[in-house]
Amino acid sequence: MSYQEKKSIVSIVTGLVILIAYFVYTYTKYQAGVVIEGDLKFWAGAMLLFIAIGVVATIIIQILFHILLSVSIAIKAKANNKECDDKEIEKSIELEMVSDEMDKLIELKSNVIGFGVAGVGFVLGLIALVLDYSVAVMLNVMFASFSIGSILEGITQLYFYRKGINHG
Amino acid sequence: MAKKIIITNEIRKLRFFANEMTQQQLAEKVGASRQTIISIEAGKYSPSLELAFRIAEAFNVKISEVFDYEVKGDK
Repeated sequence: MSYQEKKSIVSIVTGLVILIAYFVYTYTKYQAGVVIEGDLKFWAGAMLLFIAIGVVATIIIQILFHILLSVSIAIKAKANNKECDDKEIEKSIELEMVSDEMDKLIELKSNVIGFGVAGVGFVLGLIALVLDYSVAVMLNVMFASFSIGSILEGITQLYFYRKGINHG
Repeated sequence: MAKKIIITNEIRKLRFFANEMTQQQLAEKVGASRQTIISIEAGKYSPSLELAFRIAEAFNVKISEVFDYEVKGDK
């Protein structure tokens, strides 16, 4: 499995964990009766909190992922050639993490999927309002669609790395 | 409607004749990742003209000796 595929998997798992954590947190509060559906301050606060958690968690997980990947490359390089020095190990790590035109094309195409899902979610949120659902439902539909869009972006990247990609 | 074109390549063969060059070595020479070379070799990705020329240059051959095409449905 390549570096880019591993990176996509880490991003998918992070996104999924944060989305599930958000729904568990809000559902538990809602079931306990701590919050009512129309309490927009609570919903906005919860979403802001999980956006912040998401950003911090993504940064920390990506740092940890790169450290672990570098260590595993170094161990492999040492196992293959016991006399290799730090410069050779550094070069192996750099080569593993190189990003080129195929990565950019895959990123571009998967971004389209991510933005598409987020856009559909925005429209669904507005439809929910028109159909007399509460503003909290609209906010949750939008939040979920942005998160699902981001997860689908990672899944699409993984799919293109596995199945291949063509221009156009 | 335009006919579908399938791009084929001889990279595997050229690597073998270039002292059994590895995919990693080719990737380093052309400034791409090993994943990209694997995908091109397997016909899963058609490189840009620039990368295609760089691959041909890495083997010291003309681009037509590396890449060819088939028109799908053409007999």
